[in-house]
Amino acid sequence: MFVARRMKKKVVTVNPSSSLFEAQARMRGQTVRQIPVVSEDGTLQGIVSDRDIRAAVLPAGLVPGFTAEAAEKFLKSTPVEQVMTRKVVTATLTDTLEDAIVLLHDFRVNALPVVDAAGKVAGIITRTDVLEAFIDALGVGEVSSRLEVVVPDRPGTLAQLAAIIGSFRVNITSVLSTRHVEPGMRANFFRVATLNIGPIRKAIEEEGFEILDPSKFLLP
Amino acid sequence: MKRVAWIYHPDYLLHTPPFEHPESPERLVAITDHLGKTGLIDRMVPVTPEYPEDADILSVHDREYLNKLENACRRGDLTLDSEDTYLNRHSFNIALLSAGGAIAGAKAVAEGTADRAFCAIRPPGHHAGRDVGMGFCLLNNAAIAARYLQARHGVGKVLIVDWDVHHGNGTQNIFLEDPTVFYFSIHEHPTFLYPGTGRRWEIGKGKGEGATLNAPMAPGAGDAEYRTIFEQTLEPSVERFRPEIILVSAGFDAHRDDPLADLQVTEEGFRFMTRHVIALADRFCGGKVVSILEGGYETSSLTSCIEVHVRELLGE
Repeated sequence: MFVARRMKKKVVTVNPSSSLFEAQARMRGQTVRQIPVVSEDGTLQGIVSDRDIRAAVLPAGLVPGFTAEAAEKFLKSTPVEQVMTRKVVTATLTDTLEDAIVLLHDFRVNALPVVDAAGKVAGIITRTDVLEAFIDALGVGEVSSRLEVVVPDRPGTLAQLAAIIGSFRVNITSVLSTRHVEPGMRANFFRVATLNIGPIRKAIEEEGFEILDPSKFLLP
Repeated sequence: MKRVAWIYHPDYLLHTPPFEHPESPERLVAITDHLGKTGLIDRMVPVTPEYPEDADILSVHDREYLNKLENACRRGDLTLDSEDTYLNRHSFNIALLSAGGAIAGAKAVAEGTADRAFCAIRPPGHHAGRDVGMGFCLLNNAAIAARYLQARHGVGKVLIVDWDVHHGNGTQNIFLEDPTVFYFSIHEHPTFLYPGTGRRWEIGKGKGEGATLNAPMAPGAGDAEYRTIFEQTLEPSVERFRPEIILVSAGFDAHRDDPLADLQVTEEGFRFMTRHVIALADRFCGGKVVSILEGGYETSSLTSCIEVHVRELLGE
């Protein structure tokens, strides 16, 4: 899955010479907290967040006699290029969603402008977009039941489980396989499109697998 | 002793699964046997349900969906969309008669021929949406009864208390934007159980915002946790909403012996919930309670819980 599929293509931007007031106005009404700063030809120059703007106003705000009017005047007379972050963490159109997740995590940023080969902004991908992808992948909100099965970490077990579920003629709507707390074991999570999960659980247990009992994890 | 209407029809047994399935006629056979042996049926007022009028069904479901369901049954389809929801040639009619059972219970209580009602009906209803059947449900019996009360008996505000262990996604969606029907559901947490909805922030939409209340329960929760929710979450909401009648979507699958879920509710939990609903009805609704059977798949606990439930309705 590529970034290009999950990014927002309509991007709110400002020019480097635009005022902070203008940048704030563009964020308002949209649910965006950071906007890429681009030159006339669309080339990425930086990124500015609502936090950057507030931080810029703050020192001036400490001066005695600083009023709302003074704040507005300050915002209108300060260009974005004075406060924007110039070293922008970006994604490219050929980056994968995994790349984006790691970038967002490792660089502790909220948004990645997505740039094309010419350095022009083609979109933006945020933590929210990544969470949305995660919600989809987990099948949250889809009509389904969940199964958590602990299996030995060896080839073929997931296929075995899928075959058991398949024999009940129900669809698997989501699969996730992760390390388990016990060494040498894996935890497999399934979402299956049925209310009637009991017989499937039983069949899996009869094959010698352990179904995780969620109530055991809640108790202190 | 209160007059409790007993709604049942032998034709409810005609909706039979074409393969092994937990929602089977044996559920009702076990219930009627047990309530017969304990002498409880004799203490209730028998009411024979009738086939409902089209308008009463169409107040909840789309005509296209009814056509689809009827055609599927005529064709001899074995399932509707998924293996969960089976059909036979009788299913469309019996689904109508099941909705007719909920209507009959509502009618008896609204007209005062009974103080309360217990509707031993199937197929169940609370997963069925306006244009979709799922989760063993074909028509939404409780929703149809609520709309019937509003349309035919001048009832304004209806409270639906859904204590089936699964979230009643169908009922919630039908009344999502409706401020006149308050939908409360207590169920196993959607991360762990079908249908995967009923999270605590699902509270209704638009004009209906605040008229939906969900209490997802962690696996392993039992009587004590249920009691807390009824006393501390449901009760204040009911005090604000002030319903004129209470419908119960009474599933008994939160019982610890039920194989379809992971909760630990016992007969005493169902006794408490029944008493609590009756007390709320006495405070706000002139005592009007209509209990409509939903799930419950383990015969022994299903019948013992319903015995407790009916005894409480009778006010023994």
